[in-house]
Amino acid sequence: MIDRYDWAGGQEAMLRFGPSNGPVVVAALPLFEEANRTRTFAVTLLRLLAERGMAGALPDMPGQGESLMALETLSFLRIQEAFGGVVDHILDEGRAAYALGIRSGALLDAHALASGRWHLAPQDGSDLLRELKRVHGSPWPASAARVEIAGNLISADLLVELEGKQPFAESVTPRRVVRLESDPRPADHQVPGAPLWRRSDPDNDPALAALLADDIAAWVRACEG
Amino acid sequence: MQPDGSLQVEDTVRAVLRDVLGLSADRVAEFRADTPLFGALPELDSLAVAGVLTELEDRLGILIEDDEVDGEMLESFGALTRFAAAKALG
Repeated sequence: MIDRYDWAGGQEAMLRFGPSNGPVVVAALPLFEEANRTRTFAVTLLRLLAERGMAGALPDMPGQGESLMALETLSFLRIQEAFGGVVDHILDEGRAAYALGIRSGALLDAHALASGRWHLAPQDGSDLLRELKRVHGSPWPASAARVEIAGNLISADLLVELEGKQPFAESVTPRRVVRLESDPRPADHQVPGAPLWRRSDPDNDPALAALLADDIAAWVRACEG
Repeated sequence: MQPDGSLQVEDTVRAVLRDVLGLSADRVAEFRADTPLFGALPELDSLAVAGVLTELEDRLGILIEDDEVDGEMLESFGALTRFAAAKALG
């Protein structure tokens, strides 16, 4: 089902999956190019969650997917605000929201009133910025108002905001970090699979999605008590 | 990583090329030291190079500076493995 959500900057679309009651897992795709590489996978994951009786939502963030808003006009804070708008939309339905952040998507839920945060291979802002600089190839001029990186026109302010951004991790609400077995950084759980977000040709991995759907469904149910 | 980890580094480089470029396990298993990479693998364009380097950094816990990246280190599987091993094993 296609639904819409409001935020201070306007209205955007989101896909809804699963039952019309109970908690909703709200997915945040990574920023920029990696969003295209993980969208199909995220849809598969949310469908499998729905098969497990768990509702899900996949919003278009402003400047992403079908959004009519130009990415270059957005700050990082504005995108976080929009994700907060998605979560508010779920809360208005009288349902609890759990954030599912993929890679840099894990940076978007900081201001959202989520009951918990489940992060897949979270990437912090400094690592993302480093990668963007590598993809860009040459340093961009300090005076540039926007920078084109792999086909995305990004505001220079947003790039500055990325530096030092960390996934939100406070002890009051539960957080679970899941990483691939090939990733040596700290995690609560590791799963076998390849990093789809690195592939220039978008790919899917239903077996990995099924493993993650099992993990998310069990974790959300445990959080809900 | 252990000083005797050069085989481990080679396996990691192989796995990164497989995962980032979407190559089959059989294909990367055939890579030898003199197997040419950049310019020979159509999958390895400049965007993919960035992905390979970043994924190597993550898996080996190393940092690759931009001025260390040149055609030579990407010329062959052996050259890339030697570069990664020198970084990871010191």
